[in-house]
Amino acid sequence: MRLPGTRYQEHGWEQVRKLLGQCSLQAFARLDSALLLDPDTDASLAAYVDTVAPLLYAAGARGEQAGNSYGDSVAELALTLTFELQARPADWAALCAAVGAEHARAGPFWRRPGGEAQLRKKFNDVYAVLRDKVDSDNYQIACGRACSPNRMYAYRMLDTAYHELARLFAAWHQHLEQVGAILERTIVALPIEARQLRSIADCRPEWILRWSEHQERFAGAPGPLHTRSKRFAALKDNPDKIGAMLREIGDYEQLSANADHDWLQEREDAGAWLDDYWRVLNESETGSTPGPDQILEAQQDEPAAPDSGAPAEPAPPAPDDREAARLALVTRQLSLPPDYLLAAAALEDRTSWTARRMSDVSLPVRLAVYLKLLGPFDDSYPSEWLDPASGELPTMQQLALLDGISLPTLRKRRDAAIAHLNAAPAIGAATEEERRWA
Amino acid sequence: MGMTELDRKLQARMLLGARVEGDRLMLDDAVLTAALDGSRPLTIGERAALQASPLTLRRFKALADTRRRAAAPAWSGSHGLLRAADSAGQFAALQTDDGMWRLHVVDSGGKLAVILQLDPHVPGAAQVLASKIEITVRDGAKAVVLRGSLDADGECEGPWPFATTPAAHFQQHGARFDVMPSA
Repeated sequence: MRLPGTRYQEHGWEQVRKLLGQCSLQAFARLDSALLLDPDTDASLAAYVDTVAPLLYAAGARGEQAGNSYGDSVAELALTLTFELQARPADWAALCAAVGAEHARAGPFWRRPGGEAQLRKKFNDVYAVLRDKVDSDNYQIACGRACSPNRMYAYRMLDTAYHELARLFAAWHQHLEQVGAILERTIVALPIEARQLRSIADCRPEWILRWSEHQERFAGAPGPLHTRSKRFAALKDNPDKIGAMLREIGDYEQLSANADHDWLQEREDAGAWLDDYWRVLNESETGSTPGPDQILEAQQDEPAAPDSGAPAEPAPPAPDDREAARLALVTRQLSLPPDYLLAAAALEDRTSWTARRMSDVSLPVRLAVYLKLLGPFDDSYPSEWLDPASGELPTMQQLALLDGISLPTLRKRRDAAIAHLNAAPAIGAATEEERRWA
Repeated sequence: MGMTELDRKLQARMLLGARVEGDRLMLDDAVLTAALDGSRPLTIGERAALQASPLTLRRFKALADTRRRAAAPAWSGSHGLLRAADSAGQFAALQTDDGMWRLHVVDSGGKLAVILQLDPHVPGAAQVLASKIEITVRDGAKAVVLRGSLDADGECEGPWPFATTPAAHFQQHGARFDVMPSA
């Protein structure tokens, strides 16, 4: 199924899910699964993402397969989803809670026979929820209409139901009774409806309702609209709503089948919208429209609960002579140039917004922030920041050694620095500064 | 100073990467579009809503990107000159003055083939590619060198249509070439 903006709703999802399960287990084989019981879930999330991402990069043939019809590979989709998980610590906390509950009941279950599968299931669950969150967001961004993860799930249920229905119609002579129940008449010859059903847009909502209603009789288990779950309660008595959703899937399928390539357009000045954003904020500040605010009402009863960014950790002490000696030793161990930190610091534009926002953390932490947000290589990095051996920023392990701190501490400081950069007032203040300089 | 390229990338990455539990669209397209075209600045409350909702900001970005694409001037043609060195008989690739196109002539199994390439990084290139229009390359005497549509990689290929070699031909026909939408 394709809908505007969605990336995780096609058959390739099955491979994405498997890859995420496989690499997550590998990651915890390295990290120790007991980390999932650590009450500091922010730390375990950071360690997990840092460990699983390179495994996904190196996934080989499974990762290179197409994960959807937009040209995203399975590995790309899996990576994007882990980065999304990182931005949603509540989902990770839910996973840890589920593992903790199982552990409280049965001890370190992952070490028992079959325990791996149990652990994998926990990852499958968290990513199954996440993909619908991501795609309902993507849908809203692409078309500006409200959508919830539950609605995304409902679209998929209807799409699956349609395919099942189409299969029954195509093989009508083997399913006379069932097709008859769906069409509410006795079938003696090829039903005209079977010939007319060419796409999901042709599918009538009452067929779906009757198919679901009779599933218990023909398939032994109640249909999705007739289980005891309240999940689709809003759809069950609303054929018009079902019909609109079926048509929407069908219309977009047709539209996207001959879609233009949008990959090129993304390559154009990808940051141009930032100027629009700052201009719109500025125009609102200097001449805001007097109220009333035209803010959309919430369509679901989902209260927004913005969480505040964690405060940045105190700055590490300035380096002294002993520190310089330690650095010389460390850079030798790391096969970095001996004056790496000095040269890297000299090439950092200290007047830049980012550097000033992070002036209270060490250079290795700042480099870790760039590594995290922009990746190991970016055109905007001065070459003195790069490890001559790899042509990329030093790895997290190298940066931790450079800073004389442990890897988990580096992750903590890095994420605190990102949270500090991210704090909404900082962005607002920065844009004012930006405008003064412009 | 101030906002470096690195700053801009980080800001964009952070603004787009932020997630808020229970986030939803806070402003409709009409409000965002009116703010973008400057006809109705956001109210104080709407501005706060935009800044507090990464999802709404991402919708804002989608609208801003669409608007910028629509506002980019449409490509109406490019021109290029034969370089002096090419008159010596050796024919190197030609480029249009706006940098949008390169014209190669290559030996393809004993026959000369002419290849037109679109540079995807040039502003407006994406629209040209998406428009799928037919394109004509002419020499300085307005004779057709190549006519066709671009493939998905932004390339168009055809046989070299003249008996003379490319360098000699362009030299004899105005030492220039035009790439235009086919009329």
